[in-house]
Amino acid sequence: MALNYRKCAEEIVSHIGGRDNIAQAAHCATRLRLVIKDNGKIDRAALENVDGVKGMFENNGQLQLIIGTGTVNKVYAEFLSVTGMSEATKDDVKAAAAAQQPVWKRMLKALGDVFVPILPAIVASGLMMGLIEALGKVYPEFANTDWYGFLDMVANTAFAYLPVIVAVSAARVFGGNIFLGGVIGLAMIHSSLLNAWSVGSVEIIPTWKLFVFTVSRVGYQGHVIPVIIAVWLMCFIEKRLHKHVPEMIDLFVTPLCTVLSTVFLTFTIIGPAFAQLESWVLAGAQVLVHNPIGAGVMGALYPWTVVMGLHHMYNVIEAGMLAVEGGLNTWMPIASAANFAQFGACLAVGLKARNARTKAIAVPSSLSAALGITEPAIFGVNMRFFKPFIAGMVGGTVGAVFGSFTGIGATAYGVTGIPGYLTIDKPLQYTILLALSGGIAFVLANILWKEEAVEAVPAEPTPVPVVESAAEIAGKTVIRCSSGEIGQPVIGKVIPYTEIPDPTFATGTLGQGVGIEPEDNVVYAPFDGEVSSVADSKHAIGITGPGDMELLIHVGVDTVAMKGDGFEDFVAEGDKVKKGQKIMTFDRAKIKAAGHPETVVVLLTNSDDYENVQFGDGI
Amino acid sequence: MKEFTYTITDPVGIHARPAGLLVKEAKQFNSTATIIKGDKSAKATSLMKLMGMGVKQGDAVTVQVEGDDEEACAAAIEKFLKENM
Repeated sequence: MALNYRKCAEEIVSHIGGRDNIAQAAHCATRLRLVIKDNGKIDRAALENVDGVKGMFENNGQLQLIIGTGTVNKVYAEFLSVTGMSEATKDDVKAAAAAQQPVWKRMLKALGDVFVPILPAIVASGLMMGLIEALGKVYPEFANTDWYGFLDMVANTAFAYLPVIVAVSAARVFGGNIFLGGVIGLAMIHSSLLNAWSVGSVEIIPTWKLFVFTVSRVGYQGHVIPVIIAVWLMCFIEKRLHKHVPEMIDLFVTPLCTVLSTVFLTFTIIGPAFAQLESWVLAGAQVLVHNPIGAGVMGALYPWTVVMGLHHMYNVIEAGMLAVEGGLNTWMPIASAANFAQFGACLAVGLKARNARTKAIAVPSSLSAALGITEPAIFGVNMRFFKPFIAGMVGGTVGAVFGSFTGIGATAYGVTGIPGYLTIDKPLQYTILLALSGGIAFVLANILWKEEAVEAVPAEPTPVPVVESAAEIAGKTVIRCSSGEIGQPVIGKVIPYTEIPDPTFATGTLGQGVGIEPEDNVVYAPFDGEVSSVADSKHAIGITGPGDMELLIHVGVDTVAMKGDGFEDFVAEGDKVKKGQKIMTFDRAKIKAAGHPETVVVLLTNSDDYENVQFGDGI
Repeated sequence: MKEFTYTITDPVGIHARPAGLLVKEAKQFNSTATIIKGDKSAKATSLMKLMGMGVKQGDAVTVQVEGDDEEACAAAIEKFLKENM
């Protein structure tokens, strides 16, 4: 039965001396953290017996109640409402707000989480594509060379197969099997489907008749949102099936049913819904483009259509304009304004950001956007922080209206931004258009966007790591056996267990595995599993994973002697953990000061039970 | 079935390393040894379960051994606990 959060919170309040005795309240992943005015008023025995409180201890002047992942935030919310403390401290409000973000904000966050890990791929492709296409326009003879063909292929690989990359990343974010996610992505751009980019040149689109559905045999090249929705659906189905399908047949029944039902629903419902949306957008755009107000609206909406992956259809409009005798492509200035505004906003973030990681993403993404490839800037930066995206919409609107008034146009299609100079009829006006849209977006983004402090847990001195690195590092396998793979839980140098500076570990008494000479102070869960033990001295965590793999993560050698000083656990026994989730932090300086080796011991304690146990760096 | 009780004297209790040694000891025998503390219990061959019990200095644990070599197994575990814990 689900815990009665209200009752739990009320009982806690009554056992800590009532609301007047609480100075501050916050929560972390598993615990309710309270600062109590008069500790004498705490009824410890009664607190431990409150239904929902799994344990308690006092630390650094905080009373910490272990409640558990996914539960503590609900108890905390009730706690605030019981005590009327929601306005009490800023940090409290922040923590409460984060847990109760509106749906659209959480969706944006999910979108960002999907895109951040794949940015290197699309930034590289975006920059290369922009440069090569520009070169091809400047030197038409270059476009006919073998080199152009080769470089163009390399450059557009990530975009041509974007659905696959997005699907894998989305599967990881939504907690599904990433390879099944890959299959969904691949199915959506399968070679037996028409390429979505070239569908405009086909007279009759072939279909399949499935039950009552008529499925167009068109791929989803260039699409993002339908892919993410499909993979979300896949993960939803997969997780439900894992829960209900008996383990004996789970391995073949679950993936089979998951893939089949997801792809079927994708092609019959999700896909057609988007195709309908696409044709509406296209029809709307064709009307809007012909007057300045419409152009302004389009300038604002353009980046949204990039988000939806609808922008590749605009070629149809552009081609139509040019097909008329002496026709001018007046769509291109609108697209350029919108794209260059995203560049401006993204650049503002890149220059203003102090977080090195944000900077490292924003600067190259903005360059790619200046060359007309805006996906990295939109998904990786502007959409994530959202305010820069708004700034981009405003800049795009102004630029598009200006473009429409001056009546400038292009003599070809396919390029925007800086390479747009190659096709534009009035370079001076085009320069003003770019300056207007990019400049306004830059200034606005600079004003609107403020870098949020790293999401630290209140009253927590330990630095919170950048989330991206967690996914990357846990994605590196260090131990593999017949039951599965174990990721690398800590950033650092991987050594075989035989080189761990302690005979008990090095002889394999506790199982086979690796040691890690840490270069960071955070431990991430190396697979999805359940916490089976957390040492009282906080420095060791046991996790049970798929196929009953029992993993011990033991930070430092002989560090049990530190009695928990310098270690902080974010999980409690019985908690479910997801791969890449932060489970512990440790103070490297304190371990050194206490004279212990800081090697993090990662051992598959029941390695005897498995065949083919392999271990090492990134195997 | 053989059964005995032992009070842990080691300051760190049954933690990772000692637990691992205990597992190694217990695995040499065919008998099943179970360590019991209060309402928690664990097979002496399951490292995770042993660690999860959180046995500390001063805790009394009961060891139950059952199997064809229970005499030898119980004696070995008792000897191990006395020497190491």
